[in-house]
Amino acid sequence: MYLLTILLLAAAVIQTRMTDLRRAIAIILVQSAFLALACAVVGIQSGHMHMYVAAVLTVVIKVGLIPYALYKVLPYLAEEREVPTKEIVKANMSTFLSLLSIIIAFTLVMPVIPSAAQHETLPASISLVLIGFVLIMTRSQAVMQIIGLITMENGLYLLGLTIANGLPLIIELGIFFDVLVAVVVLVILTYRLKLSFLTTDTSLLKKLKG
Amino acid sequence: MYELLLITMALPVIAGGLSLFNANPGMLRVINLSGSAATGICILGIIAKTIHGGPFTSAFLHVDDLTAVMLFVVGLLTFTATLFSLSYMEREVRDGHVAPHMLPRYYALLNLFAVSMISVLVVGNLGLMWVAVEGTTLASALLVAFYFNQAALEAAWKYVMICTVGICLALLGTILLYSAQVGAGGAERALDWATLKELAPMLDPKTVKMAFIFILIGYGTKAGLAPMHTWLPDAHSQAPSPVSGLLSGALLSCALYALIRNLVIVEGTLGPAFPQTVLLCVGVLSILIAIPFVLTQHDLKRLLAYSSVEHMGIVTLGLGIGTPLAVYAAILHIVNHAAAKSSLFYIAGSISQDYRTKDIKGIHGVATVAPLLATLFVLSVMAITGVPPFNIFLSKFMIINALFDDHHWLLGSVILLLLTGVFAGMLRYGLRMSFGQKPADVAHRERLSLSARLALGLSMVLVFIGGVYLPEAANGVLRRAAQIIMGA
Repeated sequence: MYLLTILLLAAAVIQTRMTDLRRAIAIILVQSAFLALACAVVGIQSGHMHMYVAAVLTVVIKVGLIPYALYKVLPYLAEEREVPTKEIVKANMSTFLSLLSIIIAFTLVMPVIPSAAQHETLPASISLVLIGFVLIMTRSQAVMQIIGLITMENGLYLLGLTIANGLPLIIELGIFFDVLVAVVVLVILTYRLKLSFLTTDTSLLKKLKG
Repeated sequence: MYELLLITMALPVIAGGLSLFNANPGMLRVINLSGSAATGICILGIIAKTIHGGPFTSAFLHVDDLTAVMLFVVGLLTFTATLFSLSYMEREVRDGHVAPHMLPRYYALLNLFAVSMISVLVVGNLGLMWVAVEGTTLASALLVAFYFNQAALEAAWKYVMICTVGICLALLGTILLYSAQVGAGGAERALDWATLKELAPMLDPKTVKMAFIFILIGYGTKAGLAPMHTWLPDAHSQAPSPVSGLLSGALLSCALYALIRNLVIVEGTLGPAFPQTVLLCVGVLSILIAIPFVLTQHDLKRLLAYSSVEHMGIVTLGLGIGTPLAVYAAILHIVNHAAAKSSLFYIAGSISQDYRTKDIKGIHGVATVAPLLATLFVLSVMAITGVPPFNIFLSKFMIINALFDDHHWLLGSVILLLLTGVFAGMLRYGLRMSFGQKPADVAHRERLSLSARLALGLSMVLVFIGGVYLPEAANGVLRRAAQIIMGA
């Protein structure tokens, strides 16, 4: 579990370095795969049958369908990158902020939690949520923002896994469904953004004001 | 009851599915009119059963008086929105704003949106409630983006991003609440509202406090409370007008409902002091932030949207005061605001169809172009700003009254002053648009269709009558709903 936690955090931090969308999607796929493994590990430790179901669902939806949907929209976004001069600044910024959020999460959360079994995983999950948030805030590329959202959701999922051995199955089913539909809706919007703005740089979306 | 609830949720799905495979406008009209009427009747049935038979609880569903009030709001608004959509959307097709093949999709999404809102209200499990609230965002996202022009896309992108991030925080809060429940030894019936309410005094206060903050931010984002309201004016102004009415009147109310259900549990654990102080602050902030935007507005629908932020602030303020009168008034205010604001959005939609603009400066002399529309418009603007004898005056007055009763002298005076400012600002715009010289080139004028009149008439009846007469049955439901919020 420790190893998986470290790998999850590492994947999220590497994510902040990405400027190429294809690789970024590959990394979110890997991150979700680690999450599915973590889910299975908790299943083995606690012996709850429904954790295996959740692990399989994670694989199907987060490792399968969501990256598939994201890859589907990529061909339309050919040569789409963030503004070249700014993108490295943004990447540096998001890496810095995500490292900062890991430190914050560990220093703030570690002292308040009772000595639970998964002592390191809890602050790690909070860090994941924060890193997802950082990605959404600092990156303006539509697909990167979607990836940030998925990272956030993965963090929440890990949190549920650590503090309560996962939510009841029916609620998790609902959450999986929502995440899937959210990504589909966002992919449709991304595609439409490309059609009418000729770019998916969301920092250009600032016409509606006042 | 169980069957009735399932039918109520199935009916819009069926109507939506049928709409998707019907390109014929006449058939679409029949399907959606009968679908939403049938749903409305079922909802009335649920309300009647709740009044006479008391609350109903099953494994995942929970219906009590609070649900009944909110169901009334959602039922009424989906019915009027569908009625109004019939002629409004057909005219959008004629005017060339919407392609004919998009019409079935519109109705399918509208019905989906209705189901998602109804399911927020009837589920009795806070986890599933979260799923349903996120469902409302997703169902309405494509409605906001419906025109697929640059402005609509921008609004929809911001809407989905901000609300999903916000709602993720609500999920974090819900998970914390669940861990508190597990900690209190109640892992059975996880996140079930009634179970949690009984367990509330045994929950760990520290965890619940954290959970409350996250839940407030999460559902507050969805309810358009400041400072998380930034998506709201964009989404409300870019969506088709019937959808704007639904978003403002029904969706915001559903988000508040989710917040209220969580609040009951939080107050059971922490006592009322902490949550109420926080709500009071958020409510005042929402009123405060909305006002400059109302006073200096250029877009008719954005004006109404900011007024929604203000009204959600007033409701939150009522919940924050927390006396029986204030809570009662807060629920009444949700109902009143929904009726008045949705009809305002419908009227604004018709006006901007006639004038081909939403720009306040470009709209003059509605009274000569469309007398009926102008009359309704001025009356609704007066109603929404709280002029007696309309319904909103009543609930606003009660909330302010409760504020003074609770010895918030300074706050009460400030709020009164702010509300006067909103009144002056909105009425100024309302009158300037309604009267004056009509522009030379308004050639697009069309008579309001019968269905649109019926939709406006229904809301207006509530706005007028609600101010002077409240039936005993309605009063009883509202009273019991207030008691539920107070933790009885």
